[in-house]
Amino acid sequence: MTMQQTHTAAVEDPIFEVRDISVSFDMDRGESRVLDRVDMDIQRGEILGVVGESGSGKSMFASALLDAVVDPGVLTGDIRFNPEDGRSVDLLDRSDDEDIKDIRWRQIAMVFQGAMSSFNPTMTIEEHFRETLSIHGYDVDEGMERARDLLSDLYLEADQVLGSHPHELSGGMSQRALIALALVLEPEVLVMDEPTAALDLLMQRSIIELIKEIATERDLTIVFITHDLPLVANLADRLAVLYAFEFVEVGPSDDVLTGAKHPYTRALLNATPNLDTPREEMRPIEGSAPDPVNVPDGCSYHPRCPLADDLCVREDPPLDSSDPTDGHAAACHHVERVPDEVPLTLQEVTVDE
Amino acid sequence: MAEKNSSFSQSDDYASGAGKAASKEEIYREWVDMALLAPLRVAWNDWRTQVGSLIILFYVLMGTVGVALVDPPTEGQGPRLTTAFQDWSVPLGTNNLGESILSATVHATPPMLQMIAAGAVFSTAVATVIGTVSGYKGGAVDRVLTTLTDIAMTIPGLPLIILLAAMFNPTNPAVIGILLTINAWAGLARSIRSQVLSLRDHSYVEASRIMGAPTRRILKDDILPNIMPYVLINFVNSARGVIFGSVGLYYLGLLGGVHENWGIMLDGAYSNGAIYSLKGLHWLTVPMIAIVGISFGLVLFAQGTEKLFNPRIRARHAETVEDTAPYQE
Amino acid sequence: MSEDHVVSMENVEVHFETDSSVLPFGPDGDVVKAVDGVSLDIPENDVVALVGESGCGKTTLGKTAIGTQRPTGGSVKYRGQDVWDANDGTGDVDIPFEEIRQSLQIIHQDPGASLNPNKTVQHSLGAPLRLRHPEMDTFERRERIYEMLSRVGMEPPEDYAKRFPHQLSGGEQQRVALIRALLMNPDLILADEAVSALDVSLRIDMMDLMLDLQDSFDTSFLFISHNLSNASYIAGKADGRIGIMYLGELVEIGPIDEVLEDPQHPYTKALMWATPNLNPKAADRTASPLRKIDVPDPRNPPEGCRFHTRCPEAREACTTAMPEPEDLGNGHEVACYRADDTHEYWNSRELADEGVDGLGPGESTAD
Repeated sequence: MTMQQTHTAAVEDPIFEVRDISVSFDMDRGESRVLDRVDMDIQRGEILGVVGESGSGKSMFASALLDAVVDPGVLTGDIRFNPEDGRSVDLLDRSDDEDIKDIRWRQIAMVFQGAMSSFNPTMTIEEHFRETLSIHGYDVDEGMERARDLLSDLYLEADQVLGSHPHELSGGMSQRALIALALVLEPEVLVMDEPTAALDLLMQRSIIELIKEIATERDLTIVFITHDLPLVANLADRLAVLYAFEFVEVGPSDDVLTGAKHPYTRALLNATPNLDTPREEMRPIEGSAPDPVNVPDGCSYHPRCPLADDLCVREDPPLDSSDPTDGHAAACHHVERVPDEVPLTLQEVTVDE
Repeated sequence: MAEKNSSFSQSDDYASGAGKAASKEEIYREWVDMALLAPLRVAWNDWRTQVGSLIILFYVLMGTVGVALVDPPTEGQGPRLTTAFQDWSVPLGTNNLGESILSATVHATPPMLQMIAAGAVFSTAVATVIGTVSGYKGGAVDRVLTTLTDIAMTIPGLPLIILLAAMFNPTNPAVIGILLTINAWAGLARSIRSQVLSLRDHSYVEASRIMGAPTRRILKDDILPNIMPYVLINFVNSARGVIFGSVGLYYLGLLGGVHENWGIMLDGAYSNGAIYSLKGLHWLTVPMIAIVGISFGLVLFAQGTEKLFNPRIRARHAETVEDTAPYQE
Repeated sequence: MSEDHVVSMENVEVHFETDSSVLPFGPDGDVVKAVDGVSLDIPENDVVALVGESGCGKTTLGKTAIGTQRPTGGSVKYRGQDVWDANDGTGDVDIPFEEIRQSLQIIHQDPGASLNPNKTVQHSLGAPLRLRHPEMDTFERRERIYEMLSRVGMEPPEDYAKRFPHQLSGGEQQRVALIRALLMNPDLILADEAVSALDVSLRIDMMDLMLDLQDSFDTSFLFISHNLSNASYIAGKADGRIGIMYLGELVEIGPIDEVLEDPQHPYTKALMWATPNLNPKAADRTASPLRKIDVPDPRNPPEGCRFHTRCPEAREACTTAMPEPEDLGNGHEVACYRADDTHEYWNSRELADEGVDGLGPGESTAD
């Protein structure tokens, strides 16, 4: 079964095909839509950086990919998962529950922020690994060998870490142990939600570098979700920007950083504190992000956008508004005018170099 | 201190932009709304508060107006052991001495209310003061007070009360009330202390300390409002403790028969064999209903008013605040 | 000279004793030297940024600077008056502690926790006014509060004043916390990770606001952050200094742009490597410049220069004693033997890679 052609930048070999995904919660004060009819393709073997501020729906996107949206949230839409070997699966087909459980963790693993709370405080790390391996029907001894290799690849002392309880490890060590646990079943996809948020600068950078290495060595597809744009700037192959529960821009990282097409992305780049950006040129973004119960009609960014006009208030621009043949799409009615009206401060710097 | 660029001199610049401060009436109205009406609205909104306060009101009326309207119990008010709803001069029947059950019940109420009030207020106040001071001050003060609390907590309550009651034979209901809670405050003090210990390190409390606010102001504004839910529940529990404690002691005959008390009625009913025949049923059940009733009323009231201390709910009911503000999820 | 400085810290030590050991394989010595011999002067109307990773002591040093943390060694002076002497009442007290206490204020990291949830904005802001200006009556206080709310962009002020903290966004809560600190008319405000919990797009706004109000109120800021980009923005715009801390020591300090352009200490260079950069050209070295990834246990810091276990330039001489700050001119100081051309460091042997905890086989130290 072929999926309808997506509007977004066409991807040759999609491992994930996300179509029309919405997550809504029924609240006293109205329906809260924390993901709004989202389409996205994820290329096999790529590192996709999903960037959004708090309240943009990014964590919900991660939960949706694993069909792990908490009650009472309702997830609608289609997610097609195309593993390397094996048949393509509709992840939201709930009649196939056994299969889905198998896929989760074996083929798609997830790393959350705050490793400490992902571990059971009463079990040692070794017990965690053994349990994971046996639950999914793997050979435990072989798996533990792999675990040791993984741990030392992540610059940890395998024996010391395996014998410890989670609270005995530092933040950096437990986050790395969690990454190893996610990789022990040799998944194809790793979904990471702010995996380095609680870590110190140096540890954070080291782990990013490790992730890069691991991704190439093991042919992993990685979906890296964060609010920290600079963090993922050099890690990701492609960047996807979320605003008000929709994707507003997606494209190759370099293109997005130096030539973003959407006014929000450009404004965000100009407002992000960065060592190389000239301070005088930086500008905050006026206004604030919408409440999920009360998203503006038309383009959800129009109240804050300098280019907004009647069209923007009436119609919500689709993600293919720009010419997506270069793989770089933005959801804006006035893409041509954006470079002039929202100048990028960083672009001036890099162009000079 | 750098007074040269005092913030006051800037006020001319901004006067045009800032709104004119409210008039005296507005400020007063606002205060009334925030401090009185909004809390009342919140409390009344819950059916439990409504029912609970009606019940309590009923008892208060019984103890005040009722006492004036109903004659005190005397022998021979009616034929002996008439059952309830037979004779309208003694609507709830009589006991073996011909005393009207209704009279006995009603006249037992004022001393009971006094006992409850005294006991609950005493134990809650002592517990709150000790718990707050020891939690906030720390150090030597904390050690001393905690030791005191521990001693009070470990001495067995009932034997102590019985002993003291036997030794001093108190007759004043307020004194009895306080006696009954002689070590009940310890548990609350302990739990308040741990609450205060954790509150103490919250950022806003630290900010107040850094501003140099006097300790009593910090306790009043920052600490106390946040432990009120505890205090309230425990006030009600103390009250119930007094109720059941006094009934028990009167029933056991450990407290003298100076006042009427539902416990005395129960004792009388029991020792005259009321549990063995239906003829004495009213003598037993009327005081029981009275005891359970007020207890229930207090519990409902506490549950309903707990909401009062939640600023989110208070804000929703306050009229002076425009409620279009975004909610934090 | 110390009369010019709002706060002057000399050789401050803050040692904590811990009896509960979290790590079972820790040593017996249970003293954490959170701050170990730091001297720092904060002039009037200036911005000093303090950057370092967790456990470096920057928050402890910050709290010592505003007189909330009592140092176990060294001295903290406010305009020449020893703060703790004033508190204890020893010696000639020129400036009473009450005055000192009011001049040193704080803005916390978590905006949601820094306001009393049971009190409205106007009540929370009334508190500093009552303390500083007890002669003001209710109307004057209101006027002042409305003025300040407008000033920070919260219009209409009457509406915002009556709100409870949960009815404000994170950015708004933080602005209220800023107003509260400023209404005390302080000489120094400790901004403890004040923008770290805010959304990225709000940070510049907040920092600009702080600088804007700094001029009107004549206050200095001690800006603590683990994020070098934030610190460089605020220190840069104010033409201030930046200090780098590591395991209780101040390893480098100097004018912000000088330190960023020409970092002297290997740890400062490592921090710059680790700071995420939007510029695609900035992805230079991918290999870590450090010999070890993990930070040493603060209860058992390395001998000599505390950074030597991870420093790519470490040599034998570094294990002997902690380097004294070397003055490079223009207020730029660094605590590293490499700054002294004549030191025996240059003659001593390089420290060998220990292998296991380092970069792994096949990876050489950068440079």
